Amino acid sequence: MSEHKFLTHEIGSLAKPPWLVKTAQGRELDESDIEHARSWGQKVGVEGYEELVEELQRGGADPDEVARWSSRYCVRLQESAGVEVIWDGEQLRSEMYAWAIEHATGFESRGTVRSFDNKYYSKSAAVGAVGLPEPYHNDEFSFLKSAAKHRLKIPVTGAYTLAIWSYDDHHTPKEGRLGGGYGRAQEIEARRELTLDIARNLIRPNLEALIGLGADWIQIDEPGASTEADELDLFVESFNVSVEGLDCLFSTHLCFSDYDLFFPAIEGMSGCSQYCVGFANYDLRELGSSGADRPGYEVISKFRDLPYDPILGLGVLDIHTDFVESPELVRDRILYAVDVFGDPARIQVCPDCGLRTRSWEVAYEKLRAMVEGTRLAEEALNRAHAPAG
Amino acid sequence: MALKAFIPGIYARSEELVQATRDLDRGRTTPEAVEEQVERDQAALVSTQQDAGFDLLADGMLRWQDHFRPLLEAADGLETGALTRFLDTNTFYRAPKATTATPSLSGPLAARYVAPLPGPRILTLPSPFALAKGTGVTPKTMAQGVLAPALGALDAELVVLAEPFLAREEEAKLDDLAEALEALAGGPKLAVWFTFGDAGGLLEQGVAELPVEGIGIDFYATSLTDVPGGFPKLLLAGVVDTRSSLLEEPRELAEFAQRLGERAERIALVPNGDLQYVSEPVAREKLTRLGKARTASVEAAA
Repeated sequence: MSEHKFLTHEIGSLAKPPWLVKTAQGRELDESDIEHARSWGQKVGVEGYEELVEELQRGGADPDEVARWSSRYCVRLQESAGVEVIWDGEQLRSEMYAWAIEHATGFESRGTVRSFDNKYYSKSAAVGAVGLPEPYHNDEFSFLKSAAKHRLKIPVTGAYTLAIWSYDDHHTPKEGRLGGGYGRAQEIEARRELTLDIARNLIRPNLEALIGLGADWIQIDEPGASTEADELDLFVESFNVSVEGLDCLFSTHLCFSDYDLFFPAIEGMSGCSQYCVGFANYDLRELGSSGADRPGYEVISKFRDLPYDPILGLGVLDIHTDFVESPELVRDRILYAVDVFGDPARIQVCPDCGLRTRSWEVAYEKLRAMVEGTRLAEEALNRAHAPAG
Repeated sequence: MALKAFIPGIYARSEELVQATRDLDRGRTTPEAVEEQVERDQAALVSTQQDAGFDLLADGMLRWQDHFRPLLEAADGLETGALTRFLDTNTFYRAPKATTATPSLSGPLAARYVAPLPGPRILTLPSPFALAKGTGVTPKTMAQGVLAPALGALDAELVVLAEPFLAREEEAKLDDLAEALEALAGGPKLAVWFTFGDAGGLLEQGVAELPVEGIGIDFYATSLTDVPGGFPKLLLAGVVDTRSSLLEEPRELAEFAQRLGERAERIALVPNGDLQYVSEPVAREKLTRLGKARTASVEAAA
């Protein structure tokens, strides 16, 4: 019997380092920023980091060049932590929503809205037909292909999330809504028009371009997918319209949702090879691999029972806290999932979501714990299945 | 018809306050500097409300993380739970989590959560149903143990109890909410504000009979014709859509208020939910237009 092995991969964003943020804003760097670049360059093994340190010390560095350095740092950070499939944590993008909208036509900015506590996002309104002047992930992918030693997975923000995170001033009737009993059916139809417009004219052309450049794993990020329980069919339809007939491994990322809502709608999403889902946020921190120990993972049996046997990208790191999961806690979460699925080959391991709200120190420790915990889970399973004697 | 206007709920933060709080989280500024910016935001908001001719002032709840957190901080037996999406927005809150069957307020809300204002005011708290949702505690127990003591320590012309969930429930029943509201009798005047949802079913069930002064309805989801004639309560008419960046036309709002006046004697024009779901410049413009609609409506009626 072959040994069990779980693939570990990233999910999305990492924090932007202070030397990138300040350079982009035209602010002066202080010694702690330089030291950050120096120490992390050494720590994760960024080749030629001294060149960056010198540039930062000289001042007046080109923000785009500094962003590429930041991208190299994040690639090495994940590789150094042992993560097997990586990306650069959004260093070359403004943010998952803003980057897509900034590079599309048919949208206008409407300012900053609070996400929670002191976290915010920029929000735009659809004001016309959606268009793509040119694919907006090509330069990033070409750069990362040259920078990464590990396999790449490219996140692309999905059509439904872009639609539901936007106001829709284009399809929403401008008159007659007030007191007119403008019902859900009309609201959903308006969203459908916008979502499918985005899927056809923004997402799909980007996917085609990435595949043309050699991308073999694209993750469609859909953190907004379950926002409206009665629009899940639309999320599924937009995913299918985006990927149908394209030759690539497509996964999707879902987070911070009532995952029960996705069923049975995603039974129709057979083009999705893997669901990367955040669970740790809902789970306990105590060890144990029984169902009672792992309440945050109760819903995973529904992913197991999907008719097309997708892989589950098991979120094992709570990205909303500096608490660093122990490798043993990660191990137990994986062992519980394996127990539920019965087939270790259908489990891979990832954080709940992007780690951009954590410092690099915390993100790095969490990722290292994730990798170490994954190895512990493999050992436990391999021990359990080792031939007697 | 008596017509008022005011803005319950959490108001949007200015770009300056957004930046200040971001800087605070990144260690680039001090809590004192953020406090100063909060006070500038509050002063600007009060001034905008006064210019708009609002009858009751709100402080905008700019220090509130969400509708629940200050109560959870002040209560024994309640704590913050998982980060949870608020309806169909990209805004999240920490869902209340009960650690006992009978949570109770251990002290009044911290003073920082209720800013002093230069005139009659409204305050917004979660409805007992919203506070109890998902905790396993009944709305009545939440009302008795947490909300009643909180209300007892507050001074406001009207306390608006925000209820975003009930109107969206498929088989929404008013019984639990009604029972909980009975437990809040004897304090300040109350209104239940059914935000972001079609309240047609609740109106049909007799929501006007709830033991409160006012009932808030989202008229972007609810048909005017669902409001029964002779509506006996103060009707908080949600006529500004805070889930849309489209700006309302004051004339259309005023005309709507006139039509509504055929069904309700006392009306307050309000948003259909918190203004924090649009950016501050959009929120300010919507607020201003709400004031213009009130003025136009009052003039038309005179």
